[in-house]
Amino acid sequence: MPNVRIRLPRTTLSVRALRRPVPPGQLQRRATPAILALPLVALVAASCMPQPVTPQGREIEHLYNIVFAIALAIFVFVEALIVYAVLRYRRRPSDTSLPVQTHGNNLLEIVWTVVPTVIVVVLFVLSWQTLNSIEKVSAQTDVRIRAVAQRYQWSFEYLSPDGQQVLFTQLAPEMSIPVGTTVHLSLRSPDVIHAFYVPRFLFKRDVVPGVENVFEFSVDEDDAGQSFRGQCAELCGEFHGAMVFTVKALTQADYQAWLQGQIDRASATPAPGGGPGQTTLLISALNIAFDKADLTAPAGQPFTIEFRNDDAGIPHNVEIKDAGGTSVFQGEIFNGTDTRLYAIPALGAGNYTFICTAHPNMTGTLAVQ
Amino acid sequence: MATTALTPAATTYRTGLYEWLTTTDHKKIGILYLVNSFIFFGLGGLLALGVRAELAVPGLQFVDEQLYNQLFTMHASFMLFLFVIPILAGFANYVVPLQIGAPDMAFPRINALSFWMLPLAGIIMATGFLTGGGAAAAGWTSYSPLSQDAYSGTGMDLWIVAVVLIGTSSILGAINFLVTIFKMRAPGMTMFRLPILVWTALVTSVLVVLATPVLASALIMLFIDRNYGGHFFDPASGGNAVLWQNVFWFYSHPAVYIMILIGMGIVSEILPVFSRKPLFGYKAFVFATAGIGALGFSVWAHHMFTTGAVYLPFFSFMTFLIAIPTGVKMFNWIATLYRGQLTLSTPLLFALGFLSMFLLGGINGAFSAVVPVDFAIHDTYWVVAHIHYVLFGGSVFAVFAGVYYWFPKMTGRMLNETLGKIQFVVMFIGLNLTFFPQHQLGLSGMPRRIADYSSTAGWNDANLWSTIGSLLIAVSILPFFWNVFISLRGGSIAGDDPWEGNTLEWATSSPPPPYNFDRLPDIHSERPLFDARHRREAVPALTVGPDASGHAEISAALGRPHDSPDSGSLAKGMDRSHGQ
Repeated sequence: MPNVRIRLPRTTLSVRALRRPVPPGQLQRRATPAILALPLVALVAASCMPQPVTPQGREIEHLYNIVFAIALAIFVFVEALIVYAVLRYRRRPSDTSLPVQTHGNNLLEIVWTVVPTVIVVVLFVLSWQTLNSIEKVSAQTDVRIRAVAQRYQWSFEYLSPDGQQVLFTQLAPEMSIPVGTTVHLSLRSPDVIHAFYVPRFLFKRDVVPGVENVFEFSVDEDDAGQSFRGQCAELCGEFHGAMVFTVKALTQADYQAWLQGQIDRASATPAPGGGPGQTTLLISALNIAFDKADLTAPAGQPFTIEFRNDDAGIPHNVEIKDAGGTSVFQGEIFNGTDTRLYAIPALGAGNYTFICTAHPNMTGTLAVQ
Repeated sequence: MATTALTPAATTYRTGLYEWLTTTDHKKIGILYLVNSFIFFGLGGLLALGVRAELAVPGLQFVDEQLYNQLFTMHASFMLFLFVIPILAGFANYVVPLQIGAPDMAFPRINALSFWMLPLAGIIMATGFLTGGGAAAAGWTSYSPLSQDAYSGTGMDLWIVAVVLIGTSSILGAINFLVTIFKMRAPGMTMFRLPILVWTALVTSVLVVLATPVLASALIMLFIDRNYGGHFFDPASGGNAVLWQNVFWFYSHPAVYIMILIGMGIVSEILPVFSRKPLFGYKAFVFATAGIGALGFSVWAHHMFTTGAVYLPFFSFMTFLIAIPTGVKMFNWIATLYRGQLTLSTPLLFALGFLSMFLLGGINGAFSAVVPVDFAIHDTYWVVAHIHYVLFGGSVFAVFAGVYYWFPKMTGRMLNETLGKIQFVVMFIGLNLTFFPQHQLGLSGMPRRIADYSSTAGWNDANLWSTIGSLLIAVSILPFFWNVFISLRGGSIAGDDPWEGNTLEWATSSPPPPYNFDRLPDIHSERPLFDARHRREAVPALTVGPDASGHAEISAALGRPHDSPDSGSLAKGMDRSHGQ
């Protein structure tokens, strides 16, 4: 056995350096600011809103920052009062007689009633101003979209400038919008209450069955080409958490080209679900598995999937994702045993995967040729 | 003296379990409330652990979406309807008659009825788990149309029946409190000498009587919608979905105060005793409590800012206003501590925990009053953080403060201080570890009530911390149960008044006899026991025995006629309360 000598690193010196006595005051002076500053920095860093991408969102962020500053000041002030009282007024063995029995002080009561009143009135006025600004509906825009929230999918109807006609329906949970333009969004639900929520807009609005809520927003020019995550924010049932969508910001030119392409395709092909010669694919699900692993569909034209769910009481659907994993179609999730016809919009040629949203391990390949 | 003839206890003709099942004694009923509530606190806590376990990391590991929705729905329903509201009613049940010098509640049998509805309702609600569709899963708010029969099963019906029962129990209890407080106060106990806990019970009872019938009506309408083809809340048939939210929150916002006011009362009892000073600004406190009660009815729609169906500036303004009386209370509490002599026993620790955490819950709630900010944070984890800072940091800390404070009175034995302090420290850390990161989750856009989240959304770390914190909270409960277990058997003997209390419950034995008092001290302020203790010190020449002549001498020494209207003797008190 070779003679192995383990050489210990020479730590003695540094240990000794650490042990060198430091005057207690100096240690405290060194440590205290760091100890106090760290949570404060962490707090402020964690308390930022996501970077807003709409002018409306920026107003909300601005207001939030004001509220946060006031809230932080009040919080630190009052907690400091509590901590001070606890540290300063502990009962000592020498405290044999009672402390002064103060029953109250009217001046103080007035002060701590009036000062908070002033603060909340100021906050209310600020809040009201911002509210009026972000709630403004101009009715002067050409971009009118109706988001339809249905358990558990989003689709988007692009409306004519007068809002009367549906130009085409985007079935994939993806809303394309032009940057720098006011978008007039109305919200419709055929079933339960949902909520349209895009965190980067710092905004949400409920989608209430029976009424159509409306709001307007515009995405900044700088953000063209970006996509923003959106999600249903009102509990709508079992797969509420899967009810996500994307907002895609396009330049004006790209948007117009995309819009025209969609309109042409919608008018060139017969309405989904009907029409002679349209492809219908059959697929079914049993025991948490699809009966087919491969499907083939024609490129550039809409087709239908007839999906039969044979799992009694178990929810399934068919969702189609492109090669990049982006959802291009999400069918209604329903309990078996039952059958649904899904109208799939025209897809570009290529390989797609189809899955069940509720059971992502149920999967297969869709070849569009 | 006539009253001493009562000292030999009435012969107990029921014993053991039979006595507990049939009792009409407000003290035993109060303890039943506490025990029942802690059982549901445990169950609700286990459901919460299920929720947090599922959210610890992205992906579905333990439950599917359907069960997940049941978990958070039943967690909230247990905690709100079967823990927080009843346990505060339980404290009031035990303490209010003692504090006003009454022998029992005004209607003892109705009191027993109010209690026994609760375990029944809890069992009905929990049996939802055994039905085919599972327990209620539409959230504790049960928004229509999700709560309609098209979208939810039998569990929802059971939930409705249970909440109607709990509401009925609350209404009966509240009427009982109102009559008791108005009609059964001992001589000398004027309204402005009521202990603050009694005031908070009074205002809570007014809220319950005015608001809970609205909830009961709404629930019955929903039941009709589901089972008999009503269309009140069903927009598909001309009903109105948002109407449900209006009637639901018309109850449930005042209910937020039902869930905190008595907690504020408990804290307001504890702070003066452990700082040896009177509550700072007693009358301001009473008016603030009444103000919260009144304003509480005009802010319900702040839960509905994003529905697009309510007038936002009005409800925003009222919501801001209600922050003012709450702020007044906070400053009065802190002023009570100032220049006091604080003893950091467990009840005071929990009361201080209440102050610091309820403060945070109040401040993070103010963000939602700012309507445009609410558009961003509504229905996100920010709101989850807010409600838990108010209800855990607030109400639950007040509950534990109350348990440590009155356990000696209820059982005659002290709880162990070391275990109590361990519980407090672990729970305080666990609370903040669980709920503070949720602010950040909410700001970055994580909606509440989702079973799963994308691993790329940036929510992984905060969720993991939050789950670790929830485990810490669960761990902190263990020393508490152990503490109760060992202290019941071998805790040190408490005596009548272990804390040098101010109020009448400390004037009787621990535990008190069934009829509560052999004799009452004179009542000249909201601190009759303090007066009795320290006037004796102030007038050392008088040695006072346990007989009425002592009272006469003190009264004479203090220059008051013995039979002045407010220096009532116990005989009068007993006559009066028996006459009800």
